[in-house]
Amino acid sequence: MIDRLTAALARSRADYTEIRVERTWSTAVTFRGRRLEAATASEDQGGCVRARHAGGGWGVASFTSLGRLEAMVTRAGELSRAVPVDPPIRLADVPPHQADALLDLDGDVRGVPIAEKKRLLEAYNGAMLGVSDRIVDTLAVYRDEVTEYWYVNSEGTILHELRPEVTLSGTAVARREGTIEKGLESIGLRRGWNSVQDKAAGFREVAERAVQLLDAPMVKGGTYPVILDPELAGVFIHEAFGHLSEADFVYENPPAREMMTLGRRFGKPVLNVGDNGAAPGLRGTLPFDDEGTPTRDTTLIKEGILVGRLHSRETAAAMGERPSGNARAISFRHAPIVRMTNTYIAGARGGGSFEDLIGDVKLGVYACGAFGGQTMLENFSFTAAYGRMIRDGRVAELVKDVVLAGNLFQTLDRIDHIAADFRWNQMGGGCGKAGQYPLPVTEGAPHVRIEEALVGGESAA
Amino acid sequence: MIAQLVELARRRADGGADALWRRVERTTVAFEWGRLKSAGTTEEAGANLRVRHRGRVGVAGTTAVEGNDVGAHAAPLLDRALASAELGEELDLAFPVPAPIPPLTAFFDRAAKASLDELVGIGRSLLARLERQGCRVNVAIERETTATRVANSAGAGGEYRGTGFGVSADVWRIAGDDVLVVSDALEGADLPSDEALTALVASINARLDHALLVVAPPEGSLPVVFTPAGLSALMLPVTQALSGKAVLQGISPLGAKVGEQVFDPRFSLTDDPLRVGRTASRPLDDECVPSRALCLVERGVVQRFIYDLETAARAKAESTGNGQRGIFGKPVPAYTSIVLGDVGAQHAAPLPLGGGLLAGITDGLLVDELIGVGQGNVTGGAFSHPVALAYRIERGEITGRVKDAAVAGNAYELWKRVGGFGNDARWTGSRWAPSVLFEGVSVARR
Repeated sequence: MIDRLTAALARSRADYTEIRVERTWSTAVTFRGRRLEAATASEDQGGCVRARHAGGGWGVASFTSLGRLEAMVTRAGELSRAVPVDPPIRLADVPPHQADALLDLDGDVRGVPIAEKKRLLEAYNGAMLGVSDRIVDTLAVYRDEVTEYWYVNSEGTILHELRPEVTLSGTAVARREGTIEKGLESIGLRRGWNSVQDKAAGFREVAERAVQLLDAPMVKGGTYPVILDPELAGVFIHEAFGHLSEADFVYENPPAREMMTLGRRFGKPVLNVGDNGAAPGLRGTLPFDDEGTPTRDTTLIKEGILVGRLHSRETAAAMGERPSGNARAISFRHAPIVRMTNTYIAGARGGGSFEDLIGDVKLGVYACGAFGGQTMLENFSFTAAYGRMIRDGRVAELVKDVVLAGNLFQTLDRIDHIAADFRWNQMGGGCGKAGQYPLPVTEGAPHVRIEEALVGGESAA
Repeated sequence: MIAQLVELARRRADGGADALWRRVERTTVAFEWGRLKSAGTTEEAGANLRVRHRGRVGVAGTTAVEGNDVGAHAAPLLDRALASAELGEELDLAFPVPAPIPPLTAFFDRAAKASLDELVGIGRSLLARLERQGCRVNVAIERETTATRVANSAGAGGEYRGTGFGVSADVWRIAGDDVLVVSDALEGADLPSDEALTALVASINARLDHALLVVAPPEGSLPVVFTPAGLSALMLPVTQALSGKAVLQGISPLGAKVGEQVFDPRFSLTDDPLRVGRTASRPLDDECVPSRALCLVERGVVQRFIYDLETAARAKAESTGNGQRGIFGKPVPAYTSIVLGDVGAQHAAPLPLGGGLLAGITDGLLVDELIGVGQGNVTGGAFSHPVALAYRIERGEITGRVKDAAVAGNAYELWKRVGGFGNDARWTGSRWAPSVLFEGVSVARR
C-alpha cells in the first residue's frame, strides 16, 4: 500500500500533497430491553487526498473506491488551483517521520466471534434490567473496530498504524407512571477485547441510580457553590474552554485573537489545564495526528494564565507558534481540522480530597456525571446525570434535573478549589465539530469547586 | 448490481432479502473568516444488505464496492449478513410486494451542473453582502448528487437520482468578551434563487441589527415568541414521541393518545417525502415502500406514528414508508420533511422578525436559538435552556438582545394553547414552520 501511495504522490504536481488511506473492520451489537436489536460486522475503506498549490487554497478529495486514487490526486490539485488564496497558506515545519506504529491491540477484537461479543453485552444489559422492575427499557451498545491507517506526504513522512478502539454504553430507563428517569454508563478505550471484561458493576450502578431518581426531588434552582465530580469537570473543561483554545477559531479572527491573548488571566492560580495527545493508553491518544505531526502534552492554562493553544500546521504558521499535533479527522471522509485529544484539569498538588472541598460549604450542589453539554462560545449549559445537595459540609439528598448554565469567563474565574484526586474519564461517545462526529477524545479532572454557579431547575418554573 | 445481490441472497436466505446501494458525489467550497479557503470533492458508494433466514434478521454493509459493481464483493457481504442473522432476533418481517411508485422530481439539472466557479460565485456574492465593520463571515456552499437503488426479494424496488444544494453563512461579532454569532442556511434540491439568497442576507442582517444593543432580560411568566429556528426545543419532544420506535418502547407520552385532542386545534403536523425541491424527498423509502404524505397530527388530534418495516412488524402496524438506512447498520424510522400547518407559497419579500406576533406583547421575549436543545430527558416534554440568541420585546417592539437569560416550560403544556402562529413560515433544515407565540413561558435571569 505504501508503495502505491508514494507512487500516486509522485504524480502530483501540487506544492504540497498528502494522502491518507484507512481500512476499518468493525462490529456492533445493540440490545434494547431484552431484545437483541442488531449484531453486525462492517467493512469501511477509503482515502483522502489534500493538496495545495502555491497561492492556492486547500483542494480536498475523499473517496471510497481505491481504484480512483490517482484520479483523486489530480482532482485535489485542480481544486486547489481553482481557489486562489491571498495571503498564501503556509505550513509550520515538521520534520518528516517514518513510523510503523502498531498500537497494542490488547486482545484483537477481529479474532473474537461476534456471538461472544453478544454474550458479553447481554450480561451487562442484564445487569441493568435485573436491578428492578422499574427499569422499563434499556439500550446497550457494544462497538469495536480496528483501523489500518496509512499516511504519506510530499515532505517525506510515511506512517503506517494499526488503531484499535472499543466502546460500551448503557442507558437504563426507569419509569413510574408519568415519571421517567435514566442512567447512563459509557466506556471508551483505545484498546481491545481484554479491556472490556468485568464491567457489569458500572451498568448496575447507573440503573440503580435511575430508579432512585424516581423519588428524588428536582433541584431548587438558584445560585450555589457547586462541586463538579471528575466526570462533569472533564466535560466542562472540554466543552467550555477547550474549543476556544483551538487555534482555527482565532488565527484569522483578530477580535477572537485578542479575547484569547496569551498571558490573559482565565482563573485563579489553582487552575492548570492542558491537552495531551501522547498520554499512554487513552482514547484520544495517537503517536501522530492526521498531518503527521507527533502528538504531545500542551499546557493551555498555567496557574490561571492562558499560555498555549492547539494547532494544526497551518494555524501554527499563521500565528508563529509551534504545531501541537492537534490536526485530526474522524475518518478519510474529512480533511483534518484543529481538535482536542485528551483534555484535562490538572489535580492540585496538596489540593486534598473531595471532603476538603465541601467542608466549609453550608448549602451547595454536588453535580455528578453528564447527560450532555453545549457551549455557544462564552455561554454554556451542562446537564448533570444527577446531583446531591451539600448541607453543612456533608453530602445530603439526591436531586435531579441539575442543569448548570453560565458564562465561561466568569465561571472559570470562580473555580476556587481543586482537589488532588485526578482521574481520566474513559468514556465512549466523542467530540463534534464542523460536521465531524464522533472524534475519540478523553477528558480528565479531579473534583473541582466553583464558588458560585447558577443551577437551573425548578427556579424557572 | 443490486438486483443480482438480492437474487444471490434470496438463494441462501430462506426468508428473503432487501438491499440498498447508494452513490454520493459532493462538491464543497468554504470561505473561512472572510476569505476563500478550500474546495473539496467526495465520491462515496456503498451497499447495505438485509436478510431473513430461519426467521431471524441480519444486516451487513460495505463501502468495498467499485463503482456500481457489487459483484465481487457480494459473497463476503452476504456471509456477514447471514452471520448477523444467526444472532439476530426472530421477526416476522415481510418484504413489501411491488406497488405503484409516485412520480417525483428529485434531480435538478441546474444544481447538478453548477460548476465550481458558480459555487464560488455564490459564496463571494454572499460574503460581499454580509461584510460589515467589526464582523467576520464564514460561508459554506455544498452541492450533492445522489443515485439510489433499492430492491427486495418480493420483486419490489426502484431507483432514482437526487440533488441537494446547501448554503450556510454565519456572521461573528466579538466585542471584548461578548461573542455574537448570527447564522442562517438554505437547503434545497435545486440551485437557490437570487430571491432566496437575498432573503438569507436579509434574515441575518435583521437579526444582527437588532442584536447590537444589549438590554436587560425580563423575568417571570411571560409571552415568548419562538422563531422558526428557535422552535426546535418545542418540536423535538413531539417528533420523538410520534416515532413508532418510542411508542413501541413504551416511552412515548403520545403512545396511547391516537384520536385524542392533545394539541391546540390549530396545530397540524405532516411528514411529507414528496415535497418538490426538498433534499429529503424521494419516490420510495430505503425499504422499497412507496412514499406518501403522512398526517401525524390533524387540528390538534394525534393521527398516527411513523414506522419502518421492522418497527412496524414488531408493533403489528404497517410501515408508513419512513425507513431510512445508511451503508452500515439497520434501517430506522426517520422523518423526511416535517410540515407544521400548511405549506404556503415561498415568500418573495424578506420576512419581518417575529412573524407579526409582536404587536400585542407588552413585555416578553423573542427566542431565535437556545443552548442545549436535545440534552436531558427530551421525550417528557420539559425543557430548560439558556438563550443563545434572543431579543426583548417591549410594547410590541424589539428593544435589543438579551444575554444571561433562560427559558423553561413543558412542550406539551405549551402546545395545548398557542397564543398565535406567525405569518413567516419557512424551511429551517427539513422543517417548515412559522414563528409561534406561547403565553406563560417562564423566563429567568441569571
